Amino acid sequence: MILLEIENKIVETTLKSRLNSQKPDAVDQTVADYDGVVFHISNPGRDKSKIMVSISIRSYAQLQQHGVDEHLATIYGNYLTTPEEGYDVSLLFDLENLSSDKDILIRNASLLKRNCVACVFEKYFDLQKQYEDQGVQSKDFAIINYREDETLYIQAQKDRVVVIFSTLFKDENDIIIGKVFMQEFKEGRRGRQEAPQVLFSHRDPPLELRGTSARIGDNVAYISFVLFPRHTNPKNRQNTINVIHTFRNYLHYHIKCSKAYLHSRMRARTEDFLKVLNRAKPEKVSEKKTISGKTFVRR
Amino acid sequence: MATRLPAAVIDNGTGYTKLGYAGNPEPQYIFPSCIAVKESAGVRSNIARGIDDLDFYIGDDCFEQPAYAAKYPIRHGVVEDWNLMERFWEQCIFKYLRAEPEDHYFLLTEPPLNTPENREYTAEIMFESFNVPGLYIAVQAVLALAASWTSREVSQRTLTGTVIDSGDGVTHVIPVADGYVIGSCIKHIPIAGRDITHFIQQILREREVGIPPEQSLETAKQIKERYSYICPDIAKEFAKYEKEPAKWIKKYEGINNISKRPFNVDVGYERFLGPEIYFHPEFCNEDFQTPISEVVDTVIQNCPIDVRRPLYKNIVLSGGSTMFKDFGKRLQRDVKRTVDSRLRISEQLSGGKLKPTSIDVQVVSHSMQRYAVWFGGSLLAATPEFYSVCHTKADYMENGPSICRHNPVFGVMS
Repeated sequence: MILLEIENKIVETTLKSRLNSQKPDAVDQTVADYDGVVFHISNPGRDKSKIMVSISIRSYAQLQQHGVDEHLATIYGNYLTTPEEGYDVSLLFDLENLSSDKDILIRNASLLKRNCVACVFEKYFDLQKQYEDQGVQSKDFAIINYREDETLYIQAQKDRVVVIFSTLFKDENDIIIGKVFMQEFKEGRRGRQEAPQVLFSHRDPPLELRGTSARIGDNVAYISFVLFPRHTNPKNRQNTINVIHTFRNYLHYHIKCSKAYLHSRMRARTEDFLKVLNRAKPEKVSEKKTISGKTFVRR
Repeated sequence: MATRLPAAVIDNGTGYTKLGYAGNPEPQYIFPSCIAVKESAGVRSNIARGIDDLDFYIGDDCFEQPAYAAKYPIRHGVVEDWNLMERFWEQCIFKYLRAEPEDHYFLLTEPPLNTPENREYTAEIMFESFNVPGLYIAVQAVLALAASWTSREVSQRTLTGTVIDSGDGVTHVIPVADGYVIGSCIKHIPIAGRDITHFIQQILREREVGIPPEQSLETAKQIKERYSYICPDIAKEFAKYEKEPAKWIKKYEGINNISKRPFNVDVGYERFLGPEIYFHPEFCNEDFQTPISEVVDTVIQNCPIDVRRPLYKNIVLSGGSTMFKDFGKRLQRDVKRTVDSRLRISEQLSGGKLKPTSIDVQVVSHSMQRYAVWFGGSLLAATPEFYSVCHTKADYMENGPSICRHNPVFGVMS
């Protein structure tokens, strides 16, 4: 697995088993997803024929400034309901009254988190088009605190959209592995001209963010993507969003995988050394006897 | 963070891995503890090149990959191959749980008699590779005890009891006193789910002709899971079947995988004969002839005298193969009989001078038996106490992996 999946598997499998069975079981699950997202799947009012999927996202208030409610309404339509207490969005499925295409329904529900975040990207991709047509641009940023201490900045310019992630490394070694990984990432771009430009800066925020409240520190890193219209046009847009919104987790996933890989190398090396050490053990000197029982004396 | 994210609970068994988030009544996933990797014939095949180390599948996906070799990193409950295990956890966390391990506390399980070194290895992987903020390694038997709490009141919650853990491969009888396993008294019984399936398959093979040979194992398994139960008395049960065959003999309907034609199997005596091998092992195993009730009794008799009564009072079932109807009842009756007869003898020997107080034998059955261990973990990891007993990353960095050798018992209201 190189790219992380964008759908939530637990939501998907739970809904699949409940929506497709004749006699659905009761359900009450609280599960998490990346970036502190919490899903709650339940039967509201203990009514087994209804299933409610609720999501809580840290940065929902910020997403609302960018029209997440309208965006979700276009996707989920009637399934949206008043959010459950403590959650931000709730979908309600009435099992006795479902549209015929359950698969699409399940798929969309499992993409709930992705669709929530997608609204910002959609908005700024559209803005860029607008700026390009009108020849003006504004300097404002969308700031989404998608995790505690970690922020996502998006800015639309005349010819490009800049997406900047700030991420925080909890472990010192992670910074180094992360740096190497990002270097490789930049290198990898050489082979693929159509890939967006990536910039990685450690400690200091990139120029675009100078003068903002972006944090500076040894364990902070900034990754900027420069998306051109070829990435943000309606044809490629969905794919771009799929890939870019999981980027922070993608980076951390790969840091962890690299460490696992390093560990496997270390284990192999230890085994080799142990073999050498075992060979170096002095042979036990025992008295040697000939077949007739006489002791063989060395002179 | 305003609300803490739920802890992740991962129970890696020999056959199946149960994983999910704490606080839920059932695990989110149950899949084979299996990892499929690409085998290369090279000399240093254990070292991957490039991004080959990401090229693997776990769980049910393993069996759909012809170019990959499926491997089980866990043998007899103990992790054998740490390289594979590390990668197995990688996907457990990132693909299935979709959790950023830096945000969640983790509860892992270990079999009784796991070595402290293995605990250290686990801690190394969890803290170094995954940067988890906190880790707790719990003994499976203790979690099974905790899972049985749902069927009783708060005041009755205890971590003393005998756990009978019967999965697919082997059955263990494990005495636990105040949350600590009495390692020297554990006994294994070489009879478990798989043996019952084989036994039923054998009976069917002798009698039924319609079953396609390649499906006979699967059919036997289905029959075991659907129709089997435990009877109080075999002789009476046979008589019951003679009298009213229509009421007791069930029909199993299967479909031939190849010809797609349906076939019928009559399910008769094997309904109760299958699970009966727990109590009459001589039916199928010539080398092992001690019934399970007797093993339980010996185990408890081996334990220190001051815990014997509480051990008899709280016999807890865990694992899929203890799910047979009335398994608990029968076990309770049989153990009770042995205990009572022993008390009678001691009374006789004393010439009637000593009147021993009778021993209370109780077998606890509950609805979570199939994944009792996971459920116990989910229960404990949702308590606030869990966060105070976890080993944290800071502790680990300060003291090294050896802190994980010991995991304090918690959960009993004291």
